[in-house]
Amino acid sequence: MEHAMNEEEPESDIIIARNLHKTFPGPVAALVDFSVTVRRGEVLVIVGPSGSGKSTFLRCLNGLEEVESGSIIVDGIPLDDNQRHRLEIRREVGMVFQSFNLFPHLDVLENVSLAQRLVRGKSRAEARGCSLELLARVGLADKAASYPAELSGGQQQRVAIARALAMMPRVMLFDEATSALDPEMIGEVLDVMRQLAEEGMTMVVVTHEMGFAREVSDRVLFMEHGRVIEEGTPGEFFNHPRRQRTREFLRQIL
Amino acid sequence: MIVGRRKAVILDLVLLAGLAGLGGFLLYRITVHLQYSWHWSRIPGYILRYDGEKHRWVANYLLLGLLTTLRLSLWGGLLAVILGLAMALARTGRSLYRQLVARIYVQLMRNLPPLVIIFLFYFFLADQVIPHLELDLHARQAAPAVRRLLTLLVAEPGSISTFLAAVCSLALFEGAYITEILRAGIEAVDRSQWEAAHALGLSRLQALRHIILPQALRQVLPALAGQFISLIKDSSIVSVISIQELTYQGSQLMASTYLTIEVWVTVALMYMLLTFPCSLLVARLEKRLARRLV
Repeated sequence: MEHAMNEEEPESDIIIARNLHKTFPGPVAALVDFSVTVRRGEVLVIVGPSGSGKSTFLRCLNGLEEVESGSIIVDGIPLDDNQRHRLEIRREVGMVFQSFNLFPHLDVLENVSLAQRLVRGKSRAEARGCSLELLARVGLADKAASYPAELSGGQQQRVAIARALAMMPRVMLFDEATSALDPEMIGEVLDVMRQLAEEGMTMVVVTHEMGFAREVSDRVLFMEHGRVIEEGTPGEFFNHPRRQRTREFLRQIL
Repeated sequence: MIVGRRKAVILDLVLLAGLAGLGGFLLYRITVHLQYSWHWSRIPGYILRYDGEKHRWVANYLLLGLLTTLRLSLWGGLLAVILGLAMALARTGRSLYRQLVARIYVQLMRNLPPLVIIFLFYFFLADQVIPHLELDLHARQAAPAVRRLLTLLVAEPGSISTFLAAVCSLALFEGAYITEILRAGIEAVDRSQWEAAHALGLSRLQALRHIILPQALRQVLPALAGQFISLIKDSSIVSVISIQELTYQGSQLMASTYLTIEVWVTVALMYMLLTFPCSLLVARLEKRLARRLV
């Protein structure tokens, strides 16, 4: 992307969200004048009480939800009414859901391969090779022929991560990826996410796992009622929170 | 799963005896009081007959009727599924206009008696439109091989127009039920499946084809098969527009031979021949699919 005005910005900022506004039916606004930029290779963790708009923000980033006003640019592509832009952005942005959302009628290999073939136009053999490699990376090479219903929650979520990675995304969004898991399975999913962060993947992570936020993130953003309350490096955020509300939240959750 | 065989108990025997008694009583009433003379031996001749000129066995009225019913059902079913799928997609789609069209179609078809639809369609549309296609003429002028194939798959060259009208009207009202079945199936697939597909960059059409419809179809397969069995049975009502399917042949045969009971019992058995294997097939399919989806 060649932009004349500023050489630095489009190069380093992969997500630019400005003045997002969104309301749900009802009195509570989901996003209020919400602006965030994410740098390439950055791991941004968003925390906050439930209903604060964290998930809504993630879902707006790949167009699963519509914003009422404001602008979103992902990797130089504006998210607007143009359906082609929307599909392009979705191709570059991988998403991992709280409830995994694997395709129950397809086996694990097909779950990971399908979009590579349909969207990336890979041949069956190519997609298969790539999928097996990714499954090995998330430690599930032996489960390629299983169906989602035969896997544990942690295994399903790792398949879902492999499925998203198969699209070679530039950004990965994690929407409370461990919240639906039994405690003993959270670790295996966080390990995969940690590994991904170490490899330099740009990640926006909505989570309640403060340990993960502290160790892995580059920046923590605390939001409530659709607004940014505080943001900073994990060191600042957890050790020296500036806002009273942040301190209360951390006291409750830690 | 059924474990082991069940033993017959006294109650079963009593019930069986009761049923046998009832059957015997009916036979007795018909034979003695109606003075009905049974002529079962004449029935096989109406299924197959020996052609003295060609020196081979050929299909007679009842078998011809059965074959026509089969052709009607297959073509009608195919067309009804295509129509139903299109309308179900319209009903679940985002275009308000298409939603409305599909809704009107379904409401119209479900609130009219099939017989009325058939008459309306036959005399209104079929009579005004289809003859202009001059299908019968084309069929008659076609090469002998094509004619034979048409006769095998569709109908005699002379009656293709009528057959087409019958297939269309059958498909038209069965399609409404299939629309509703498919719509229910599509709506039963969780929203999160759409989202997962969209998040991967699949278009709406790709998501439908690869993610939503396969799951929807599995959900509604029994209902869909049931509807197909219904269609086989409902095809009997096109006898009113002189399609020579099984029921039509039965009534013609009855009128000319007075073998009332033999003919209708045979016709019933022949319908069973078509519908019962369908039921068995569905049961097997359901079992196979159930293993995958827990």
